[in-house]
Amino acid sequence: MKVAAVLVGTMISIAQMGGDPMKMSPSNPNRSFQPIEQPLPVKVGVVLGGLTLVGAELWWFLGRKQQKQQATQTNGVQEVLITVDGGYRPDRIVVVVDEPVRLAFRRLDRNACLDEVLIPDFGISSRLPIGQTTTVEFTPNQVGEYTFTCGMRMFRGVIEVKAT
Amino acid sequence: MEDLNLKLKGMSCASCANSIERALLNVPGVVEGNVNFSSDRATVRYDPKQTNINIITKAVVDIGYEAQVIPADLGIEDDAGNRAQQLEERNLQRRVLVGAVLSSLLVIGSLSHFSLTLPSSLAGLENPWVQLALTSPVQFWVGREFQQSAWKAFRHRTADMNTLIALGTSIAFFYSLWVTIDPSYFTTQGLLAEVYYEATATIITLTLLGRWLENRAKGATSTAITALMGLQAKTARVIRDNAEIDIPIAEVALADIVMVRPGEKIPVDGEVVSGYSTVDESMLTGESFPVTKQIGDEVVGATLNKTGSFRFRATKIGKDTALAQIVKLVQQAQNSKAPIQRLADNITSWFVPVIIAIAITTFVVWFLAIGNFTLSIVTTVGVLIIACPCALGLATPTSVTVGIGKGAEQGILIKAAESLELARKIQTIVLDKTGTITQGKPVVTDTSSVLDLIPSSPGVLDPLTLWRSIGALESNSEHPLAEALLQYARDRTKDAQLPTVEQFEAIAGSGVKGIVEGRQVWIGTQRWFDEMNINSSVFLAQKSELEDAGKTVVFVAVEGHLQAAIAVADTVKSTSARAIRTLQKMGLEVVMLTGDNQRTAKAIAERVGIKRVLAEVRPDQKVQMIQTLQIDEKKVVAMVGDGINDAPALAQADVGMAIGTGTDVAIAASDITLISGDLQGVVTAIRLSRATMQNIQQNLFWAFAYNVLGIPIAAGVLFPITGWLLNPAIAGAAMAFSSISVVLNALRLKGVKI
Repeated sequence: MKVAAVLVGTMISIAQMGGDPMKMSPSNPNRSFQPIEQPLPVKVGVVLGGLTLVGAELWWFLGRKQQKQQATQTNGVQEVLITVDGGYRPDRIVVVVDEPVRLAFRRLDRNACLDEVLIPDFGISSRLPIGQTTTVEFTPNQVGEYTFTCGMRMFRGVIEVKAT
Repeated sequence: MEDLNLKLKGMSCASCANSIERALLNVPGVVEGNVNFSSDRATVRYDPKQTNINIITKAVVDIGYEAQVIPADLGIEDDAGNRAQQLEERNLQRRVLVGAVLSSLLVIGSLSHFSLTLPSSLAGLENPWVQLALTSPVQFWVGREFQQSAWKAFRHRTADMNTLIALGTSIAFFYSLWVTIDPSYFTTQGLLAEVYYEATATIITLTLLGRWLENRAKGATSTAITALMGLQAKTARVIRDNAEIDIPIAEVALADIVMVRPGEKIPVDGEVVSGYSTVDESMLTGESFPVTKQIGDEVVGATLNKTGSFRFRATKIGKDTALAQIVKLVQQAQNSKAPIQRLADNITSWFVPVIIAIAITTFVVWFLAIGNFTLSIVTTVGVLIIACPCALGLATPTSVTVGIGKGAEQGILIKAAESLELARKIQTIVLDKTGTITQGKPVVTDTSSVLDLIPSSPGVLDPLTLWRSIGALESNSEHPLAEALLQYARDRTKDAQLPTVEQFEAIAGSGVKGIVEGRQVWIGTQRWFDEMNINSSVFLAQKSELEDAGKTVVFVAVEGHLQAAIAVADTVKSTSARAIRTLQKMGLEVVMLTGDNQRTAKAIAERVGIKRVLAEVRPDQKVQMIQTLQIDEKKVVAMVGDGINDAPALAQADVGMAIGTGTDVAIAASDITLISGDLQGVVTAIRLSRATMQNIQQNLFWAFAYNVLGIPIAAGVLFPITGWLLNPAIAGAAMAFSSISVVLNALRLKGVKI
């Protein structure tokens, strides 16, 4: 840990040797940014392009539909296999109330965020080793929606508990 | 028949499971084969005379899958998991090192941008093509996982911090590549043909380094659990078929007789059947003094036997032991949600898409304002890189994990993060008297012989004979006070054999009588003695004084002659007064609640410094009393009591704290359990709550501050005013350290004195 801290310190100071880190300012003739008059069509193009990109990006990430899957019953346990690869698939699990649920997480993605899965409402947190299937079990006693997320809460899914 | 567990690899669907099952059953000698697709496991039952493990695994391998034998001891498989983790960490470490070396060279090469002249031996580093060669491994090997993860997330229509890093570094890299290949395109427009390779490499290296540090620090936040689980003994010495044998702890069965020698750990929970010893229970209760154990006493697994040897009967094993319960409780609590967390929760899901939108807007705005393409790129990359959603996500859970773990180390079990948050707000703390402030067990506190007052009284027995008689008589009684007299008699007579009692009789509300060693003995109240015309007035003044101190006084007579007065009381725990004083100093109102009479209650309250006493409250009225405090006085109320009798009141209180007796950890009604039974635990719990919440607030503050300040600066808001721009490499460093600082701040909680 200490070695790492020293390493970080060294790297930062190397980065800072280049002068004031906040300043890549006009006072520094080599890296100043000269104003350039851009032709109007280019400006319009950049604005339209930018707006389109923002729209497309927001639509792509926020407009996503959840992939829904009903748990299958085996020996009185409701089972679902969830693939952990760039998120959770399926990410909307439908189960019935008062019956044990077993979620099997198969992690294929190396993304460090996905290293852990949390289901706070059931007090579950579990590490998901890469390339393995890890199961967690719980019994929901109340109808409702419960989220499960990765360790940093960036990826999420929903467990929908329905009445029988 | 033998059983075999196999770990399988290569199954992609349920039909694979079927074909493996068929292959297993085709092996001669295999009688049962079950493949579980979701857990990647097969269980096989086979006849060792006809086949062996190698033949069975070969059958699986032959049809194209991998099979690995899982040893019967599950611990080993976990080690394999750890090894994979270690390998992963070493790989990460290697990439960080390579990244650091290459980034340093690139930073040196970029110094010329800042009017520094490099010695001629290093001048080659300024060449953009050399820089490209140095950066490419960082971009495509060291930082490979950012792009891979970002792409996977993108296809899944989600975005996370990898998306930001991958986008930011890729933009900087490909912009620089363009400049390297075709510098004239930029120079003819009046732009500087400058590359930003060093920024790309530094960002990737620092982020990776941050991740590596964070992983290590995160491991440290849950050490409390690892430490708890590490307490368990590995083996137990049990008596089977009249012989002592050492067996793994998992094989201990209920009602096994277990031997424990000095210096050994007690393997499971149980009840002492022979022997005598002292046991160090500090690992579970936080209580520093060893506890004596004799026949009939409970012993708890994972505690340490100090002085003597003893045997005990196992009463709880496996997941039912106190230790297993504690571990489970702590784990659940650490993963529970604190209400304060919801704030950060809601932010993170749309955080990244919004940051990308801000980054694009930044590009457009600068392009319109100044028209300088390079400036637009630099600010865009800065915004993408400095945003740190991870710090927001980590802010609460890391502190909660450390806080609850720290509590567990001190014998304070917190059931949910919510209680930890509420405990800070407590205004009024209601303490049950019996068993909470006091020991809950009456003991003889004063004795007075009639000879002390009237030296010439007739018919007075010598003390040893008298106490033998008292002990003998009380050993027949089931009255709560009898236990105290018997214990005292045993101590006084040095455990001598107690004589037998004839014609024993207990008169409810009055006392007991019987014939011991040929003499008629009475023990009882003054009223009863008056009825029998035994004059006890000689003790009158003393009795009234003792009763004012909250003690119960009984008299003893033998053959009609008054012998002694004995005062019995429930004594105050040695730590109660100090703990109550501390609570009052912390600004809390302390209230005593008891079913006892006013006089006794007042006496105890005075001794521990409590001003407000609610006495003569029936158990069913306790809930109402708490409600009154909550509603009429609008106070946040904590109730401290024993978990069984006070359960409704504990549940009614905003925070219910159960005083445990060492093993009853799973007391359902309480939010917080104090294992040691020491009131000081209440102080510690409240201090822990205050410290943890403060820590969370600091974390959230820093996490928000990084983003709220960092993003506008990176976007160049200050550039027109002061000429300040954030170097993308510095943005990378800030981002990497936002997460680390949050985790390190949470770890600081471990060292906080409470």
